[in-house]
Amino acid sequence: MEGNLLNWIIFLPTIAAVLCLIVPSNRAVKVIAILASGVTLALSLGLFPHFAWWGQDAAGIFGGAYGQKLYEVTKFTWITLGEGDNATPIQYYVGVDGLSFPLVILTTVISFLAALASWNIEHWKVNHGVRGYFCLFLLLETGMLGVFCALDFFLFYIFWEVMLLPMYFLIGVWGGPRKEYAAIKFFIYTLVGSVLMLVALLAFYFYAPVGHRTFDLLKMATDPEIQQAFGSATFLGWRFAPFMFILLYVGFAIKIPVFPFHTWLPDAHVEAPTPISMILAGVLLKMGAYGLLRISYPVLPMVGPEAAWPLAVLGLINIIYGALCAMAQTDFKRLVAYSSISHMGYVLLGIAIMTPAGLQGAMFQVIAHGISSPMCFFLVGVIYDRAHHRDINRFGGLWLTMPVYGSLATVGFFASLGLPGLCGFIGEFWVLIATFSANFAWAKPAAVLAATGVILTAGYILWMIQRVYLGKQREEYKGFPEVSFREVAILVPLAVLALVLGILPEQSLFRFMNGTLNQITDLCARHGDMLTAAVGTFARP
Amino acid sequence: MKLLLANTWLPTSAELHLFSPELVLTGTIVAVLLVALVAGRRPQLSAMIALLGALLGVLATAHVARVVGDGGLGGLAPPGEPPMLIADRFSVFFKLFLFVLLAAIIWLWLTGTIERRMRATSRPVGDVGGPEFFVLLLTSALGMMLMVGSLNLLVIIIAMETASLPSYAIVAADRRSRLGAEAALKYVLFGAASAAIMVYGVSLLYGRFGTLDLGAVAQASSLWSHQQDAGATGTDWLFCLGLAALGVGVVFKIAAVPMHYWCPDVFEGAPIEITTWLSIASKAAGLGLLLRIVTTLGGAAAGGTHHTELLAWAIGILAAVTCTVGNLAALRQESVKRILAYSSIAHAGYMMMAAAILVAPAGTAANVGISAVVAYLLVYLLMNVGAFGAAALVTWHAGTDHLSAFTGLGRRAPWIAVPLAVCLFSLVGLPPLGGFAAKWFLLVALGTSAAAQPWLWGLVVIAVVNTAISLYYYVRIIRQMFLTDDATLPRLQVPFGGLALVNVCAVVILLIGTLWFSPLGERAGRLASNLYVQPTPPALTLQP
Repeated sequence: MEGNLLNWIIFLPTIAAVLCLIVPSNRAVKVIAILASGVTLALSLGLFPHFAWWGQDAAGIFGGAYGQKLYEVTKFTWITLGEGDNATPIQYYVGVDGLSFPLVILTTVISFLAALASWNIEHWKVNHGVRGYFCLFLLLETGMLGVFCALDFFLFYIFWEVMLLPMYFLIGVWGGPRKEYAAIKFFIYTLVGSVLMLVALLAFYFYAPVGHRTFDLLKMATDPEIQQAFGSATFLGWRFAPFMFILLYVGFAIKIPVFPFHTWLPDAHVEAPTPISMILAGVLLKMGAYGLLRISYPVLPMVGPEAAWPLAVLGLINIIYGALCAMAQTDFKRLVAYSSISHMGYVLLGIAIMTPAGLQGAMFQVIAHGISSPMCFFLVGVIYDRAHHRDINRFGGLWLTMPVYGSLATVGFFASLGLPGLCGFIGEFWVLIATFSANFAWAKPAAVLAATGVILTAGYILWMIQRVYLGKQREEYKGFPEVSFREVAILVPLAVLALVLGILPEQSLFRFMNGTLNQITDLCARHGDMLTAAVGTFARP
Repeated sequence: MKLLLANTWLPTSAELHLFSPELVLTGTIVAVLLVALVAGRRPQLSAMIALLGALLGVLATAHVARVVGDGGLGGLAPPGEPPMLIADRFSVFFKLFLFVLLAAIIWLWLTGTIERRMRATSRPVGDVGGPEFFVLLLTSALGMMLMVGSLNLLVIIIAMETASLPSYAIVAADRRSRLGAEAALKYVLFGAASAAIMVYGVSLLYGRFGTLDLGAVAQASSLWSHQQDAGATGTDWLFCLGLAALGVGVVFKIAAVPMHYWCPDVFEGAPIEITTWLSIASKAAGLGLLLRIVTTLGGAAAGGTHHTELLAWAIGILAAVTCTVGNLAALRQESVKRILAYSSIAHAGYMMMAAAILVAPAGTAANVGISAVVAYLLVYLLMNVGAFGAAALVTWHAGTDHLSAFTGLGRRAPWIAVPLAVCLFSLVGLPPLGGFAAKWFLLVALGTSAAAQPWLWGLVVIAVVNTAISLYYYVRIIRQMFLTDDATLPRLQVPFGGLALVNVCAVVILLIGTLWFSPLGERAGRLASNLYVQPTPPALTLQP
């Protein structure tokens, strides 16, 4: 117990959601929602001192090994399973380490900005139920923060599912023309993934030796007896560890989303209202990657080497296929949605190769994309509010009409493109060099292929900028008002973050998380060695 | 004459105390009939008496629960004989369960009459009432209570018929409804056929073992199995056939595949109070009986035999097929009653999975399967009363239970729509709702027992995949309520009693999913411990 900071961060939005149901006017609801997400953001900044890298070495901040040093831990028994000596607690167990810390900050930042972006809800096409909207929005924030902070698998699962319901309604009620289809598709895809996770959750518990059974994710990863049992067991005739890895992978891959589970994403993104798209792209997609890094790899490190090439291939497909799809879109929002798929491919590739640089690059890309893609979605939203359509080919010369907007848009899209000096570059670059130098036979060709993705990305983004922002000013868009103060207030923080992360990657992000990421790599490497000794591996010495 | 009396065994008053819930119920039935004789045909009065009886029954059950305390007790049998009726925590739980449900159903009925009076002009939907309605309802409840509280095959048959015969009649309680008459006919035909098969099965068992006591049958069969195991493993086909035929009757009550065809039609045709009653009580009693049979057979066969393994597989496959069929069939239904009917088939499937746990894993005090079903049933009661109650409120108002009646309910009647959504999501099994807690304990029970029967993991996988399938049709109702709207539809005026019922259900479901998660599991575990077992195995000689 180190105080309740993290609990406040997680549950303040819920409290505010209840308040939203009580207060009388719509305006009060909006004020409460924005205040609550703002205060949550402020509270989450209170986590910074723990990870202050100035004046401390990495071991001091992150501890010696995975799971040894956590901050703001709250741990108490919630449900007791079994009885007598066999009783196992399902814990309310939350805490942050270098892996979750940046994601918590990202979540609170994006949620706050998305709440701001929801301010003009009265002008949306579906503009009723303001109360319901913000109530669900805040519940969603609790769910997201809970997922990133939970260290008990059961609790993680609960938060993971808690997120689903608000998202379904947020897309389904306040979405675009095909909202019902998009909402149910999102719901069913994610639920399929999460029920498979539920099987893994149960199996992790029951396959651990009696006396070691636990839902504690850190203990699962570090208890040698559990690891031993997981490595040798069989499940319905298959090897336990790969089977569980696949179950978890499907759940996380749907969230990331990885080809071929990606089809829900363009639909959901396009139909969702702008703030919800921001959250979807900025935070929800990150949960897949987080799940892989928090659960799949640490708990099942023995599968890592076997899973490397399939995951890398899927990552490559994501990068290239996503980029090609993005190039073919005429709907502005769909283009950004497919670009997300492409960018998340780098994350998967970086995770798959399991080197320190790979994980660092993947996590950096996660955060970078979490900044650039909400920005892009908001940029699209700004223009949609004015033009009421999103057809790229019908735009042109917007920069002349709205110079401030045009400049900010360039920053956002260039960050997404991966221009050096902006956040998108570092993540991709790290993943590419890590892949190139990885110890796999297929690593170099994979790196080369992934690099072509960068070119494709540049292609579709530049082409889009040309069609939308450059060119002759069009008659019908002449009267468009410049971005309002509120819109600038949302875009500027994101632009600043994109710049800071691009220029000072080490100081702004890497040092806050590398310690934990390296511990995860170590954990996997140890088991990789054991596996190499036992059955041989795909890895080249 | 004197000799006869001397030899006639009579139950002691202590034994009769154990069965005070049943006696209270019988008394209520008589009271409803007699009061109707004196006061005339006044449905509301009958309902009040029935409600009072149900509440008294709760008190009586609480009294029995204290008496039963830690161990199971047998009763109503001459000394030395296996008891006709038994009272243990498990059967006490069922009695309490049925009384509470009975009270909820009567409450719903009272709400319905108010609703009907409010719109006397329109054709009332499901106009049912009168003393006979409540007599039939209470009698079927009595049968169901007896079903779970006996190990004697003859008593089981009588109890089952006591439960079934009144049910056939009340399905057609609305005499003007053609659909109701059709439903009742289907129900009675199916019921009669399955009852006949069941009696045949019992006769086979009696012929094979020379006893009607299930405990003795179990011991004899496991004895036989162990003798066989010493040499070659043989299958006692007569025993299997008898058991399978007995199972037909049980499966009919649960409405599991392949005896599920009656369920959607009957649920659709019956008045919605009766649909609620059948969907919960009939299934619960059937499951209770199934678990009773299964634990008796499994308990006698320590460590499991060839036969128990066969039985476990059979139940497991039936359960898996049942929940899959139920969920797939529900996908394309347009009537909310039918959707909920198929959903109840699916849920019966989930619960039957727990009955596939025949071999209790080492180191567990409580019977994990039973405890899982107890927890599941508790939540299932709340979910279904809530869902059917909300559906009833809408149906009475709209005159139809088609999905379109639910359009825009989120705006028109948020106090029905939100609790209904909670109940439906809980039926899916999404956290943080009670349905997830129920499913969790079920899956944990399967996982625990998978140490002895690894194939139970297959059931786990089937159960969770079914969860994902079921989402679609539950969400169709929710979509209709929240995602579609028709501005011309007016707001819904609903009686307060109905609102109270569904909202209480929703709140308790939410609490079970969060704060009461652990207490639910503990309580269920306690209820499932110390089942009644035969104190001394009677010496049996096997007939060749």
